[in-house]
Parts: sequence; structure tokens; C-alpha cells
Amino acid sequence: MNIYLKNFLRFCIIVLLQVFILNNITLHWFTNPAGALFNPFIYPIFILLLPFETPVWVLLVLGFLLGVTVDAFMTTAGMHACATLLVAYLRTNVLNALMPRNLSEYINQQPSVKNMGWTPFLVYSGFLLLLHHIVFFSIESWSVAGFGPLLMKIGASLVTSMLFVIVYILLFTRQTVTRA
Amino acid sequence: MRNFILIIRRFFNLILFVGLEIVCFILIAHSRTLQGDDIVSSANTAIGIAYQKQTDLVYYINLGKMNDTLLSENVRLRKLVDQYTTLDTLKDTLVHKALTNTDTTVHIIKYADYRYRTAKVINNSVDGVNNYITIDRGSKHGIVKGMAVISSTGLVGRVEYVSANFASILSILSNKQQVSAKLKDGTFKSTVWDNEHPDVFMMKDMPPELKIKRGDSVFTTPYGNTFPADVLIGRVAKVELTKKNGKQQLYLTPATNFRNLQYVYVIENLMSEERKQLEELPAKK
Repeated sequence: MNIYLKNFLRFCIIVLLQVFILNNITLHWFTNPAGALFNPFIYPIFILLLPFETPVWVLLVLGFLLGVTVDAFMTTAGMHACATLLVAYLRTNVLNALMPRNLSEYINQQPSVKNMGWTPFLVYSGFLLLLHHIVFFSIESWSVAGFGPLLMKIGASLVTSMLFVIVYILLFTRQTVTRA
Repeated sequence: MRNFILIIRRFFNLILFVGLEIVCFILIAHSRTLQGDDIVSSANTAIGIAYQKQTDLVYYINLGKMNDTLLSENVRLRKLVDQYTTLDTLKDTLVHKALTNTDTTVHIIKYADYRYRTAKVINNSVDGVNNYITIDRGSKHGIVKGMAVISSTGLVGRVEYVSANFASILSILSNKQQVSAKLKDGTFKSTVWDNEHPDVFMMKDMPPELKIKRGDSVFTTPYGNTFPADVLIGRVAKVELTKKNGKQQLYLTPATNFRNLQYVYVIENLMSEERKQLEELPAKK
């Protein structure tokens, strides 16, 4: 399938998934009963799964579009866009640090468990999602008063987001079949 | 000049990143005030339509619960009508109370101040710092920014953004707006939300000599121009004495269950314009 069409479809699917399904899942892990509520976010995975050789400015523009779309659905005016831009900007650096070869050598490939291995992929997505969650939740609460609950929120939300990311990866990427 | 272009080419990514982040922060700053513009909001027509489709799909599930709340509301309204039918049948509002004035020289009949419109909730959030609810009524149906919104059980919020077919409501689960509230005996104070729990409101710094019990009702006051008076906000769940200043702090359970809102009423205050003009007169002088 054409790589542009494929990524466009993925954009739509991920936004719909985030807005209509995950936004209705409210969590209150690690908080007192009937306590703080928050959502898992998986939409940054769209940026994480773009092909290796995507230039940074394309990543930034796509990240901004993605963030603003999610913002429009959630009435958060720019908060998601802000966090997603950071992910898009740092993605290339993180990949460079994690991959053994130069990124331009991976032609027509996208970051996946298949060509990265489980641990590097989880480090890559976990680190960028952590940055995303820190930026988003700090902008959302915009104060240092509730610092403890804020950390709880970031941690618990990150764990749940990562679970959904792993499920997404297992469901939507082709696995290599290995037989003993 | 050549060097300048070289620098721009070298740092193009960084400049683009910083530029887009500045755009984001401008958007956020705009939305942090009550008067902010709606550049990006769920009152947009395209997003409104998307949410409506989703609501059409899933609202069957909650029909039973909705029936129950409507039934109990009907019972309450029936009781009210029974009280008022002998007094004044010209009113079509439940919020406005009949005059029980014993002074016969002052004989005023007030007609209905409020007009009600029903609306279906098509999107709802309880987990943000400022929570918005999207409804399927807009300027086409006469919704204007600033109207109050109640549910069948209590106060919900006020209309903030309006498009042709949709409107988004800033619910009282928000740190942008405080609601002026009163107890049964008339002491008033504003409620605040602690940004965390969708089931807890607080009223801080109540005088310690007040006798407040668990289960006391808290209503809106007529002092603000937005909300109609005597709408139930919630009930007192806990009374706590703060040691620091010896005052009482009340924890309220909101009367509206924000987690499963389905239908709301948008209230238009017909006298609001006149009142605003009158109240602005002394400020002009």
C-alpha cells in the first residue's frame, strides 16, 4: 500500500480510537476512592510509527496537526499540540541514540518491534510518551500545588498508555513467524 | 545575508519547533480566560457532528437510568404545580417562587423570567481541570453565550462557546468559575472545586458559629446574573473545622451526576439584559 495513504488512514484510525474509545475510559488508579480522573493517551504513537527517514519538519507539522485535532475534540486548546510537538521534535534524536546504524540506511521502514527488538522499542516509546505525559499534565494543572497527585497522574497514566500501545503494536503490526 | 540564510537553514527545525510551540501557548492563553475566543473547541460543526453520531450509537445503553431520573423529576414538578396552581397560573417556571407578601399595599405579579430549552448532551468530560460539555443546540435554536444550564437534578454550568448547531458548556467542575451559593438560612459564599474529584465541591471559610449538618442543601443565589436563584447545587457531605483559622470548611456532593449526563435544560434569563443595563449605570458615572 502507498505509504502516504497508509499513514493517512492510520492518522484517522488513531484519532477516532483516542477520541471515541479511550477518552471514555476514565482511570482512578493510585488515588483515593472517587479520586482524580484521567485518560490514557495513545495518539502520539502515530508520530512514533512514521518511517525512519521522515524529515524533522514534516514530523513537526504532522505533530501539530495531530495535536490540534485531538485538542479540538477535547476542548483543551493547544495543550495536546504542545506536548505532541515535543515528541515530534525529539523523536529523531532518540532513534539515533537507540539504533545501531544511521537512520538513512533504513529505507522504507518504520520503527517497529520487528526491526528494533522489544526492549529498544519499549524504551523509545516509553521515553517519548513519558515526556508527552509530563508536558501535558503539567500544562493542564498549571500549578505546583498538587505536585504529588500530578506525579501519580503522570505515572499511572503512562503505565496505562503503554499497555494500550503494546496492545496496538500486537494487533496492528505484522509479526515474523518463527518456528523452532 | 548569506550567513543569515545559512543560519536559518541550519536551525530551521528548531525555529519551526519554537514557532509552533508559541502558537500552542497563544491558543492555551486565549482559552484560560472566560472571555477567550473559541478557535479550537468542540463546538465546531464538524466535531459536533462526529460526537452526535457517537451519541446516537451509544445512548440506548443508558435509557433505563434516564427514564428513572425523568420520572423522579416529574414527581417533583407535579408536587410544585400542586402548590402553585391556587396561587398563580401565569407562571411557567418552577424556579421562580410565588410572592408570599403579607403587605397588601405592594401587590406585584411577576411573569416568567426564564425560558427553558431542552438539549441532548453529545460529549462530556469530568477528568480535566476545566470540563466542557457539548450539546446539540446552537445559535440556530436561540442559544447565546452566558446562558445557565441545569440538569433534571441540579446545576450544570454555563454556555461558553456557540456555533450554528452546537454549543459547549463550561461545567461547574472548573477552576475558572465559582458559583455563588447559599445555605438554607441564607448565609452565602461561593463554592470552589478542588480540580480533582468530580464528586466533591468545597465551601471554604464558613463562620464557626453556623450550625451546619450533613445533608443540608446548598442552592444558587440571585446575586450573580448568570444562574437563576434556588437551583440545587448539592448537599453537604462533610463539615470540617480548619485549625488554622478556626473556620468551617464544607464538602458538598453535587446534585448533578456529571458522569452520566444525558439531557440538560438551557435557561434563558429574559430579564438579564435589563438588569445588566441597570447595574452598569452607577459604574458609568
